[in-house]
Amino acid sequence: MNANSLVSLENVGLRIGNTLILRQAKFELEPGEKVGLLGPNGSGKTTLLRIIATLLRPTSGSGVVLGAELGTDAVYDVRHRIVMVGHLPGLYPELTLGENTRFVARLTGHPVDVADEALAMVGLAGASARRADQSSKGMLRRAELARALIIEPSLLLLDEAHAGLDAEAIGLVDGIAHQVVTAGGAVVLVSHEPDRLNVDRSVQITDGTLEAAS
Amino acid sequence: MTFWRQVYEIARKDLQVESRTAEVALMTAPFGAAALIMIPLAIGTDAPLLSDLGPGLYWIVVLLFGILVILRKSAVDGGPQRDLVRLLGIDPAARFAGATIATSLLVLLFEVALGPVLVALYNPDLRGWPWLFLILPLVAVGMGLLGTIAGGVTTSLGTRTSLTPLLVVPLALPLLLGATQAFEGLQLGGSIVPWLVLLVSVDLALAVSGVLASGPMEEAVT
Amino acid sequence: MTHLRRYWLESLAVVVVAGSVARSFTVEADVVQGDVQRIMYVHVPSAWLAFLAFVVTMIGSVAWLRTRNRRWDRLAASSAEIGVVFTGLAILAGMIWARPVWGQFWTWEPRLVTTALLFFVYLGYLALRRAVIDPVQRAQRAAIMGIVAAVQIPIVYYSVDWWRSLHQASSRNSIDTPLRITLLLGVLAFTFVYAAILRRRLELARLEEELEVKRFEASPDVAGAGITAPSLARALQRD
Repeated sequence: MNANSLVSLENVGLRIGNTLILRQAKFELEPGEKVGLLGPNGSGKTTLLRIIATLLRPTSGSGVVLGAELGTDAVYDVRHRIVMVGHLPGLYPELTLGENTRFVARLTGHPVDVADEALAMVGLAGASARRADQSSKGMLRRAELARALIIEPSLLLLDEAHAGLDAEAIGLVDGIAHQVVTAGGAVVLVSHEPDRLNVDRSVQITDGTLEAAS
Repeated sequence: MTFWRQVYEIARKDLQVESRTAEVALMTAPFGAAALIMIPLAIGTDAPLLSDLGPGLYWIVVLLFGILVILRKSAVDGGPQRDLVRLLGIDPAARFAGATIATSLLVLLFEVALGPVLVALYNPDLRGWPWLFLILPLVAVGMGLLGTIAGGVTTSLGTRTSLTPLLVVPLALPLLLGATQAFEGLQLGGSIVPWLVLLVSVDLALAVSGVLASGPMEEAVT
Repeated sequence: MTHLRRYWLESLAVVVVAGSVARSFTVEADVVQGDVQRIMYVHVPSAWLAFLAFVVTMIGSVAWLRTRNRRWDRLAASSAEIGVVFTGLAILAGMIWARPVWGQFWTWEPRLVTTALLFFVYLGYLALRRAVIDPVQRAQRAAIMGIVAAVQIPIVYYSVDWWRSLHQASSRNSIDTPLRITLLLGVLAFTFVYAAILRRRLELARLEEELEVKRFEASPDVAGAGITAPSLARALQRD
């Protein structure tokens, strides 16, 4: 394990009930890296992403994320440096896109106009007053990417990175990822479209087992 | 960001979501009022009987129908929303406190909404009514705490709507007794301090339990 | 001799229960209530066990949260299962006792009301366990509820006691020494029965978990294994 690694997983496994989802995963992520995570449906990509996000405690193995050992209280101190955009939107359906983004801004100690600026940067300034449950999937994904602009994370995790995004917005993903790695952070992108991924290397997951893809 | 600022933001968000659905004001409260109207049709409409029983029936409706306030849609965060809140670095205790404050305020709204219905239909003796400014909030806070704890352990379970009432109702008995006996004490001109102490004790015990359990509760739901 | 060593707790329980039953039927009956009073020797020990089992559930819950060792969760769950049975027995025996003595099945006595509520708390605890598939999540959620409920139960008891004292004089009469000795013997007998059943239930739970682990290691159900390329896609390609 490299002491400078942002993420270091050693033989990490996850079992839920009688189902083995991830087994003996070995994964390192260095500052400035963009890594693609590829694999078929049900292979464990989202599970691995959630473990890296410290949201899931592995049932075997060990790992360190941003200096915090997984499964300990230390993860509480590093979570605010992680942004994960899942394949389901992490927005409150009844609130507007603006209200959702301002909620994030206030909770991360930013003034609310930072939220409005972030929404403008992702092209949603005109849709700020639209409720999340009345917005398209692409709009919701853009609003979630605005969160990354507000928080400026050390670790950006994108599940199904390009899902629902039009051509303009796909460039947005690359732009935000570039900002994160330039600042010394790292990015992990899950995708079913390897050709669209602009990454330094890829990792393939099949039936819960990781192997380098390229 | 300070702990109490986090509490405020979580409570504000919950109340903001509830204001869009208006579930408590437009659905739960009318349902409770309908129950208060139907009860006399089952037990008899004798005015002195209803005046006597009215306060007790009111508190039973608050307890049983107040469960619907706990089960409201705005109290339920989906998986992605839970992940969001966790990754924003919010202290689990702050999240618990914020959710409790929101639920307690909505239970209080429910109690207040049913008050005029009780007075109009049952004509209860309201001697010592200013004490209600203390009794109603204490019961609301107790329901809010119990509801947030029970809601926390039943998050994302398919049987949540049936299981939560079963977990809440037996443990809410001291709230029911404290409220009804305090009310009766006011009518008889006796001291209600012991019952207020009971209500405060229940709330304190639940608050401490809930705060201590908030971390494990959050980690139990993935 | 091997059997005796293996079943020493059960053997002890049988001996003490036999002694308790014999004593219950031979000690003089209450002068007011007559022979129906003897059901007290089932009702009171059952109620005692209901509360003891719940305390053990709470201890197991606290220990699980501190250590995350599955044996503590097994203790909490096993004790709750036994507790719900004895709680039901206490309520039933109480009702059978109350009817001929007081003319009604239910007396609103604080301990009886608290026991009845404890029955529902147990049911809720077991229903919660049943609703969660993952064993670690199940243990965590159940532990939280076990501890919260244990903190509240004494408050429930005292609130009902206060309420009852306002509305009716306490029904707790003093018991003569021979009856008190019989009652204590009954409590001891039931405690041994609880310990014996708990020991067996814990062993069963441990064996069930070991079997599950062996099955899993032999052929783990891997999440993505059942997913293949859709046959419709291949058929469309051929066409």
